[in-house]
Amino acid sequence: PSLPRHNDLPWQLLWKFNNQLRLPAANLTVLNDTHTNIPKLRLGHVGAQFWSVYVPCETQNKDAVRRTLEQIDVVQRMCDLYPDTFACVTDSSGIEDAFQSGKVASLIGVEGGHSIDSSLGVLRSLYRLGARYMTLTHNCNTPWADNWLVDTDGEKPVHHGLSAFGKVRNSISCGVQEQWHWRDVVLASTGAMLGDLPLVQCSISLFVHPSIHPSIQPSIHPSLHPSVHPPTHQSICPSLSVGWHRVPTGLEDVSKYPALVAELLARNWTEEEVKGALAENLLRVFRRVEEVSGAWEAPGSALETPIAFEDLEGTCRTRYGYPNGAGTARPPPAALALALALALLLSVL
Amino acid sequence: VRERAIELMQDARLIDGHNDFVLQLRILYQNRLSRVNLRELNTTHTNLVKLQAGYVGAQFWSVYVLCSAQNKDAVRLTLEQIDVVKRMCNSYEELELVMTSQGDAPSHKIIFKNVVAGGIKIACLIGIEGGHSIDSSLATLRMYYDLGVRYMTLTHSCNTPWSESSSKGIHNFYPSVTGLTAFGQEVVKEMNRLGMLIDLSHTSYSTAKAALNISKAPVIFSHSSAFSVCNHSRNVPDDILQQLKKNKGIIMVTFNADVLACGRKTVNISTLADHFDHIKKIAGSESIGIGGDYDGVERFPKGLEDVSKYPSLIEELLRRGWNETELKGVLRENFLRVFREVE
Repeated sequence: PSLPRHNDLPWQLLWKFNNQLRLPAANLTVLNDTHTNIPKLRLGHVGAQFWSVYVPCETQNKDAVRRTLEQIDVVQRMCDLYPDTFACVTDSSGIEDAFQSGKVASLIGVEGGHSIDSSLGVLRSLYRLGARYMTLTHNCNTPWADNWLVDTDGEKPVHHGLSAFGKVRNSISCGVQEQWHWRDVVLASTGAMLGDLPLVQCSISLFVHPSIHPSIQPSIHPSLHPSVHPPTHQSICPSLSVGWHRVPTGLEDVSKYPALVAELLARNWTEEEVKGALAENLLRVFRRVEEVSGAWEAPGSALETPIAFEDLEGTCRTRYGYPNGAGTARPPPAALALALALALLLSVL
Repeated sequence: VRERAIELMQDARLIDGHNDFVLQLRILYQNRLSRVNLRELNTTHTNLVKLQAGYVGAQFWSVYVLCSAQNKDAVRLTLEQIDVVKRMCNSYEELELVMTSQGDAPSHKIIFKNVVAGGIKIACLIGIEGGHSIDSSLATLRMYYDLGVRYMTLTHSCNTPWSESSSKGIHNFYPSVTGLTAFGQEVVKEMNRLGMLIDLSHTSYSTAKAALNISKAPVIFSHSSAFSVCNHSRNVPDDILQQLKKNKGIIMVTFNADVLACGRKTVNISTLADHFDHIKKIAGSESIGIGGDYDGVERFPKGLEDVSKYPSLIEELLRRGWNETELKGVLRENFLRVFREVE
């Protein structure tokens, strides 16, 4: 079975149905205007899927956190509603169990650091809720990481990779796989899907990717050639969602993965290399991430650095907890009203 | 009598319904647990040594975030507070996070009896204080439940888009909301479905009555006292106490001096015990529990200044003729009954 890394079906469920899975039109066995539905997943021999709980960049500094929780919830409810098809799991052995029982192992991937609103507490919460990877950025910088657009003429770099807070974040291994593991280098994010398969960008390769402009030719991307990236560092991760209309001919939806496999075999990839790309390489990485996390120090070593308040933008936030921030012990009502008035006054001065 | 109180509490450690220590951790220490020793902290009413001295066997930690965060970053802040509780309970061996009436696993059943190999543990539970924490999203409510939250106070001192608070004039959110809206009813139903306790402290009487009417499970007041004894809007009037009795729910009587004594200068243990006596008369002792609200308010009765002082309350109730069964109920059994029923 194959283990594609990234699928935006949850976004489609929000966009089309406002996450109301029990609407008749949302029935995943018959839904036919998305790349993904249950029959297609079966035809495509998909054994496990990371479902992206993407929320758009415009939610940054607004309601990104709540929206992300809602997308995580919709994945869980999808597993609840179709228990014969999906098994929501959170580790590599869960994936293996699901393979055995013929279900699609379902995992959660957060797409864009804006989902954590610069909070390590939120990052940990998302992990506890089952998120097992996070793309550090989508198409927007976060207060602590630059996105791929700074490698084009689209935007100027701000952090030149990761800010100090971003590096603190990056040194945590709470089992959340990240798209890359090196510091001090420009990030490649899964970037703007201008309609082409960002197969390589989504690679779990430990190499740094210079920005690869997503104008990928319709056939297989040259960097999939074994001489550029050894097959042990490849995995299949098309970014499939109806928003991106252009996918290569022959790979129009999730039932078509076998066609890709056929092409690789025709190009003399061995079975082992193909199995690697399909699933084994990702499982290897996932297990290693779990090992590293498991070998971390004792409880109590969670990182507590708050981001500097000045690094944050937007008005939809409070200063609560920062020195001189609003917020005191809750005095009785009259005193509270006074304290609030005072805080407002001070914040205006 | 003091000895009887202690013996009783050794056998039946307290399950306290509401403590805002975690709020103080944010305000005073920015949630940086590595900078404080929770055993001996002396800037708060609560520390672990005092909890042990007070024979507290289980504590609901409130993950309150200010009403002023409503429509802003309340969700993020709430997640951060939940994270602090988890880190706190993970970092100290005398604390253990639990999410069920049995503890987390059969062997943890024993936590509620507080006799665990290696010493006495205090069970940690999590309560959200104020519906503004869910940002009107049932999905967010579910995620909080997944993270271990086991009660939600429907409002704090501000209305949400779907529920009315007892506090008037402190905030200006959603002033036209009364009681529970249609969506508010959905929230209550979803809490029933999940098995999350519905907490009616801070809610208006309309909200409380509506919730009592709709809920299929017993409800709680995590930290409120008796309106008949002191007519403060945070307290519960007799008619609602009677409804609570029918509902088989529980009012966890609170120690906030300002809601106990209505401006009287002297607030002591006797003042608090008057509330217990009155509620017992109206709703029976099986409807009573304890929710101190330590670290959430500033004024406490003389003799109950911090979390080590609970035995003094039990002593007073014994003197007033409460028997051991009634007191074990107040200390823990009534709450456990409610929790099991909700599950």
